[in-house]
Amino acid sequence: MVRVKMAAAAAASIRERQTVALKRMLNFNVPHVKNNTGEPVWKVLIFDRFGQDIISPLLSVKELRDMGITLHLLLHSDRDPIPDVPAVYFVMPTEENIDRMCQDLRNQLYESYYLNFISAISRSKLEDIANAALAASAVTQVAKVFDQYLNFITLEDDMFVLCNQNKELVSYRAINRPDITDTEMETIMDTIVDSLFCFFVTLGAVPIIRCSRGTAAEMVAVKLDKKLRENLRDARNSLFTGDTLGAGQFSFQRPLLVLVDRNIDLATPLHHTWTYQALVHDVLDFHLNRVNLEESSGVENSPAGARPKRKNKKSYDLTAVDKFWQKHKGSPFPEVAESVQQELESYRAQEDEVKRLKSIMGLEGEDEGAISMLSDNTAKLTSAVSSLPELLEKKRLIDLHTNVATAVLEHIKTRKLDVYFEYEEKIMSKTTLDKSLLDMISDPYAGTPEDKMRLFLIYYISAQQAPSEADLEQYKKALTEAGCNLTPLQYIKQWKAFAKMASAPTSYGNTATKPMGLLSRVMNTGSQFVMEGVKNLVLKQQNLPVTRILDSLMEMKSNPETDDYRYFDPKMLRGSDSSVPRNKNPFQEAIVFVVGGGNYIEYQNLIDYIKGKQGKHVLYGCSELFNASQFIKQLSLLGQK
Amino acid sequence: MAVDITLLFRASVKTVKTRNKALGVAVGGGGGSGSDGARDELFRRSPRPKGDFSSRAREVISHIGKLRDFLLEHRKDYINAYNHIMSDYMRMTDTERDQIDQDAQIFMRTCSEAIQQLRTEAHKEVHSQQVKEHRSAVLDFIEDYLKRVCKIYSEQRAIRVKRVVDKKRLSRLEPDQSSKSTESSSSEKASQNSSEESEEKSTTEENRDKNLTEAQSNFGLWGDGRGEDELSPEEIQVFEQENQRLVGEMNSLFDEVRQIEGKVVEISRLQEIFTEKVLQQETEIDNIHQLVVGATENIKEGNEDIREAIKNNAGFRVWILFFLVMCSFSLLFLDCPLSASGSVMIVTYCTWRRWEQMNTDSGTCPGNCILFGGAAESFLSRVRPSVTLFGVFLGKVTGLVCHFFLQKG
Repeated sequence: MVRVKMAAAAAASIRERQTVALKRMLNFNVPHVKNNTGEPVWKVLIFDRFGQDIISPLLSVKELRDMGITLHLLLHSDRDPIPDVPAVYFVMPTEENIDRMCQDLRNQLYESYYLNFISAISRSKLEDIANAALAASAVTQVAKVFDQYLNFITLEDDMFVLCNQNKELVSYRAINRPDITDTEMETIMDTIVDSLFCFFVTLGAVPIIRCSRGTAAEMVAVKLDKKLRENLRDARNSLFTGDTLGAGQFSFQRPLLVLVDRNIDLATPLHHTWTYQALVHDVLDFHLNRVNLEESSGVENSPAGARPKRKNKKSYDLTAVDKFWQKHKGSPFPEVAESVQQELESYRAQEDEVKRLKSIMGLEGEDEGAISMLSDNTAKLTSAVSSLPELLEKKRLIDLHTNVATAVLEHIKTRKLDVYFEYEEKIMSKTTLDKSLLDMISDPYAGTPEDKMRLFLIYYISAQQAPSEADLEQYKKALTEAGCNLTPLQYIKQWKAFAKMASAPTSYGNTATKPMGLLSRVMNTGSQFVMEGVKNLVLKQQNLPVTRILDSLMEMKSNPETDDYRYFDPKMLRGSDSSVPRNKNPFQEAIVFVVGGGNYIEYQNLIDYIKGKQGKHVLYGCSELFNASQFIKQLSLLGQK
Repeated sequence: MAVDITLLFRASVKTVKTRNKALGVAVGGGGGSGSDGARDELFRRSPRPKGDFSSRAREVISHIGKLRDFLLEHRKDYINAYNHIMSDYMRMTDTERDQIDQDAQIFMRTCSEAIQQLRTEAHKEVHSQQVKEHRSAVLDFIEDYLKRVCKIYSEQRAIRVKRVVDKKRLSRLEPDQSSKSTESSSSEKASQNSSEESEEKSTTEENRDKNLTEAQSNFGLWGDGRGEDELSPEEIQVFEQENQRLVGEMNSLFDEVRQIEGKVVEISRLQEIFTEKVLQQETEIDNIHQLVVGATENIKEGNEDIREAIKNNAGFRVWILFFLVMCSFSLLFLDCPLSASGSVMIVTYCTWRRWEQMNTDSGTCPGNCILFGGAAESFLSRVRPSVTLFGVFLGKVTGLVCHFFLQKG
């Protein structure tokens, strides 16, 4: 039975795996079974910020309730003693957390304690807790202690990030700081490796690691290889023994882990984008699958109005349950707007049907022929009653997407993002530009200074040869006039000089975005989201550098870019330093991990790429998830040095 | 892949204990030695306030659990409405079933009452916000549990009722058909001669005693005796047609009844849903009602306030006006009491004179007044030119205004 379950779990996505693991933890580490008439149990959940970030994208409050969680509290908040309830702790084993837990034990806050650590706890810390438990004579109250190995945040079925709380620690800036010391670098790498290790424990597979030479990714690869090797060698406590039994069809197909460094492609994170999810992340406050909107309530009255414009914040969860989101998060924005409209119409039709039914029912008393209709109507009524909650849910989703899409559209219109997108695409694919860069920069109506900076950086990064000093001065002048901060440029200059030494600038796949015909634009104007002045751009599949690297590594193609990538196989007894892969079979499963921050653009690109391949899976992970403005901030901090 | 390190924890507890012992440190209240600590632990844990709330909640849960077990235990017997005919060993009678229904309902009611009581108590007791939240969540859980158990019961009951209805229908059908056949046969028989009547009677009685198949065979038997029938074939045909018509009618009626029955079942299900919804909405409507009442009160108060404010405003304006007038007059008087009073007097005098004149000769000689004004002017200009000028101006203006109005009138 366990075997069956394991096999079933093997096919599941990383998101499901983590959810199952969390549910098991909440159920006192007993596999969770859905029982209709089980007696209710209740407990409180105590988590720290890390735990909160891990749980919140996966389980809603309602699901927690269904698991019997009455209260979920932060470890470091003021908690009142509830003497007759078991408490489930889900925390990182850090000093202050341990201290606080010891304090809880001393204060006898709860009846019993189930301690779960997000990543492995060290022996000395465990002894600290033991000491506190002894002192409070609460040893028997500590019912279970577990290492959960769940130190990563799953955002999508096939996407994860490392952490959210101390993301400055593993940010692009932290890795690329010129004045970084060796020990600092060690801690950064350890953090990344620890999380990655947790990821593979949860995935239940030992990967084959490939990485580029001479980058931060290589350091991560070496350390991860070492850690996996140590764990595999310790046969008694190995975390990977279980999966060899039940991994089913994947048991002899091991996944490929491609570790890439952010430095191979700096243009993509700066790029303006055109797909829904990436746009939401770019222009709105989109954070751990939750988007925060600031809406100005009511009409904005005259500027002289005495009342200050009230802003009410709204936050929406964009989850996997949301079918529309699942379907359209990768679609280009105009398509999304259109689909929202369609959904709205279909919803209205359904609503009208229900209303019509209501009127028929109301008329029935007077109608003579009603009795014959009654036979239909009861059936209809039944279906209407059963479909109403569904309808309400649908309405909620439509409202949500209408709001989000309107907010996005507003940004697009005010900042002319469509123009930027098109222009950048042209720069990256090196096609002829119909408008000079200088014009774009000095156009006062198009975009914020940040947009202009992004545009110029992309131009600078993807240019074959650096523009001449005189040109550069001119650009700089235009940029400062537009109100840009030039510090990011300084860093990019350094980076480019360095990268040129290392390798030739990567080329971006040839592309084509073309404005759609006039006809479709006319069609669009009927929709609620009047896309006037916003070009209806269609995306053509183009592979970003990361995707191309993955492609050549997965298919074992020979490619000058990837031929010298290092090869690690933790299952091999002796580590070797060759870059020659042992087996020549193409891989079925791959994990792309970007050291130094990723974004939704690359994720979407990978998803689109793998969609065309039968029976292959790809997972995207990154040390942190940033949008362009956050990235620019980091770059400018780097440039200040 | 969670790793259980409880054992490791226990081991570390032991090491810490031994270390403490070796060092001879008394850590906190834990006591130096292990055995001592254990006793201490026991001692300490016993007076630990085991919450009244949770024990009562658990009690309710165990009650509900008992109900559930009871229901599940008797489920088979309860549902099987047929079996008491077929099987020989002991089965539940209908009265027993009714008893179960009654008991279960009473039990459920008491449980929900207990929950309600707990809820009110939990609200009443002074606790921190978190504890309150926790308790209400716990009570929600218990309520949910009760609901699920109730669902078992209601499903069970629905099945039972359905089966009883089915059974009734079946049992009604069987005699229906047999009686129909016997009836039809008897109608034919009625026209037969008396010599056969007694024989027939015995056969029909036999028919009734025997079951349907036997009736069929009897029918055949009956056909044998048709030779002695006095009825003409036409008559028989008529009867047969009538018979068939009757059967058809009955069948269609029966179909209709069955359809209606189905509808009724469906409607009852809908009814159930609706009652649930209505009950859900009850509290919401109550809430809305309260809010509306509050809102009305607020609006009333607001109206009152506004009215008062308007009143105040008017009064205030009058006062302001008065104050300003007073100010200007006091300024005038303070500036030069003599001339001012003189000018005021002149103004009043002028107006009065004017008024009088108008009344007597209806405006024939306005020049008189102006003359008078001119005299006063020359007199006052000596006293204080500026004030006098003002006074004269005022006087003239008032005079003219009065003149104008009176002429108009």
